Amino acid sequence: MRTTKSNGLGWLFASPYLIYAIIFFAIPLVWSLYLSATDWDLISPEINFEGISNYIKALQSPGVQAAFFVTFKFMAVFVPLVIVSSIIVAAIIHGLPKFKGIFLIGFFLPYLASGVVSSLIVKGLLSYNSPVNAFLRTKLGLDIDWLGSPFSALCVVAVIIAWKFTGYYALILTSGFESINSEIYEAAAIDGVSPWQRFWKITLPLLYPAIYTVLILSIGVTFGIFTEVYQLTGGGPNYATNTWQMEIFTQAFKNLQAGYASAVAIIASVVTFISIFVIRKLLEMWGKRNGWV
Amino acid sequence: MNRALKKGASLLFAATMAVSVLSGCGNKGTEQGAGNDGVTTIEFWAAPNPTQQVYWEAVAKEFEKENPEIKVNVSAIKESPSSEASIQSAIAGKSAPTMSENINRGFAAQLAESKALVPLNELEGWDEIVSARHMTETVKGWTFADGNQYVLPIYSNPMLFGWRLDILKELGVNEPPKTYSEMLDVAKKLKEKYPEKYVWAKADLADPTAWKRWFDFFMLYDAASEGNNFIEGNNFVADDKAGINVLTFIDNLRKEDALLAKQVTDPFETGLGIFTDIGPWTFTYWAEKFPEMKYGETFTLAAPPVPDGMSTENVKTFADTKGLVIYASATDEQKKAAMEFMKWIYSDPKNDLEWLEKTSLPPARDDLATNEAFTTFFEKNPVLQPYAEAVPNAIPSIDNAKYNELQTYIGQHAVNPVVKGEVDPEKGWNEMKKAIEGDLK
Repeated sequence: MRTTKSNGLGWLFASPYLIYAIIFFAIPLVWSLYLSATDWDLISPEINFEGISNYIKALQSPGVQAAFFVTFKFMAVFVPLVIVSSIIVAAIIHGLPKFKGIFLIGFFLPYLASGVVSSLIVKGLLSYNSPVNAFLRTKLGLDIDWLGSPFSALCVVAVIIAWKFTGYYALILTSGFESINSEIYEAAAIDGVSPWQRFWKITLPLLYPAIYTVLILSIGVTFGIFTEVYQLTGGGPNYATNTWQMEIFTQAFKNLQAGYASAVAIIASVVTFISIFVIRKLLEMWGKRNGWV
Repeated sequence: MNRALKKGASLLFAATMAVSVLSGCGNKGTEQGAGNDGVTTIEFWAAPNPTQQVYWEAVAKEFEKENPEIKVNVSAIKESPSSEASIQSAIAGKSAPTMSENINRGFAAQLAESKALVPLNELEGWDEIVSARHMTETVKGWTFADGNQYVLPIYSNPMLFGWRLDILKELGVNEPPKTYSEMLDVAKKLKEKYPEKYVWAKADLADPTAWKRWFDFFMLYDAASEGNNFIEGNNFVADDKAGINVLTFIDNLRKEDALLAKQVTDPFETGLGIFTDIGPWTFTYWAEKFPEMKYGETFTLAAPPVPDGMSTENVKTFADTKGLVIYASATDEQKKAAMEFMKWIYSDPKNDLEWLEKTSLPPARDDLATNEAFTTFFEKNPVLQPYAEAVPNAIPSIDNAKYNELQTYIGQHAVNPVVKGEVDPEKGWNEMKKAIEGDLK
């Protein structure tokens, strides 16, 4: 039976997290909500209450509209890319006879690499006069404006982030692969199941929990893209890579409109929450319909 | 473990965690103001650039020797996420320094509008500084829309264009083109001899980032309009004819296939492009990385090209110029001490000479090209002489608090689409004007 004393002890143990959550989550959230209804720039002694005008302005802004669509465009390129590549990496590592850990670490390293550094390296590689482009121009007659055309700029950023996250997601998927009992495959082999059927009927259903996790994580990533975009394209060309974080940064730290940036941040949070909720539900329905969960 | 001990341990653990979390939130801040010993401490934030930091540390020490009642703590402005944002956060967090450098006119306008800066002309000693430093003419361009002076310009760097002299000579051209038609003629000759080369290879031409317009559009616009203002207070006052001329010129270069607006590594140094904007900071970099770049041999410097028929003498250009400000949050003693520090530095040209030697950035003085204190320096560094001579023709950036958005429109609606051939110059200019006027309302 629970007693007042044991409840008190529970609260006591939970208090560090609660204090942390209040200071670093609740207070900033309330503060941000308040700021979003003002025109404050953080430094002016005058704070004018603006009501919902920042939200209306944000919804009409080309930067915010671009951020909304760009996120889903990133999702359409990045998520399939990272899922397929991490499944391939995980499957290869799972099939290795030994040294799985070492290979996993190798693939995981890009996740630890600085986004700034990797972006700068990519910028150099994609430079007009880089050996890669010189080869494409002279040998294949291809003169690609990698970061200057909307689609390729978006793809470049998506590929860098996919490269960064592949190893991390492969780690999760490898543990998913490892948890599948090999006897199931042996039984399937005896029954003459083809490799394709084995993937669809055994591997995918049993790997579903890990894939589900990776899918949700990767979708979450698309709402937080910043460093690579900031370094490589600055949100351009013509807003083609303008993410939510980029828009918030521009408004808060370049245009010094903290109130308006807060409104954009709140809209971004709501869009993120709703999007992930809907996608999660769709994934669950997909899993249930196939009998995987 | 008995129950009391368990409870005690839990309490201790929770308390430790809570204290740790809370202590992380505390802001120790900086101890400023007059201490008990009568010493006034001022916090000085220097540009996040090692050479400038070294300069300020050295002069602060010298100053303290002669003024023991004032202590100057020099530290660099944090660059993350940007120096402007660091200053903004510091002001919001009530930990702003007494004074800082590295403030451009646009950012100063934002700070002034938020009442975060002290009008320097209202402090005792301002006139003395201006006259002692021989900068009466220079500061005129820094007067803000409300008539106040919020920034003391430290350096006024007239941006110049560099030309690959060696390649020009190969084309049979012995000196840099001065007018648009001369430049288009060079473009034709270049493409004929070297189809793979470009006149202007610069990815920024297709990038709407606000500050990038200082080093392409404003250099050309200031030259074409003879320094006509772009925005005055909340009014768009730009010279339409000059603006459209600039865009048409860029468009003509594009039509000649003389522009390359893609990401390129060192295009001027490798000779892929033969024309580029150059600031004095480039030469230190070249000395280390491209020693083959020799002034008068490989490259030369010139004022921006102007529309045909315009005078090619005393051509105006954009001034990359930044200065010192005193923050409104400082105490009266600190403001006074800050002015003393400024007076001390600028009363002696040797401090400006030291600045010039350390940073290569031309001090914002009217007499830079004529004062004997700098003669030897320029004799030893002839590449910097054209910058000194162009100081009177240098136009600082606009002083509007919304400079970031406004300059972004120039890129988005005019320069970037014209460079890409997506819009004709007149339409681009009018769309830009409409966007700017809409935002200024």
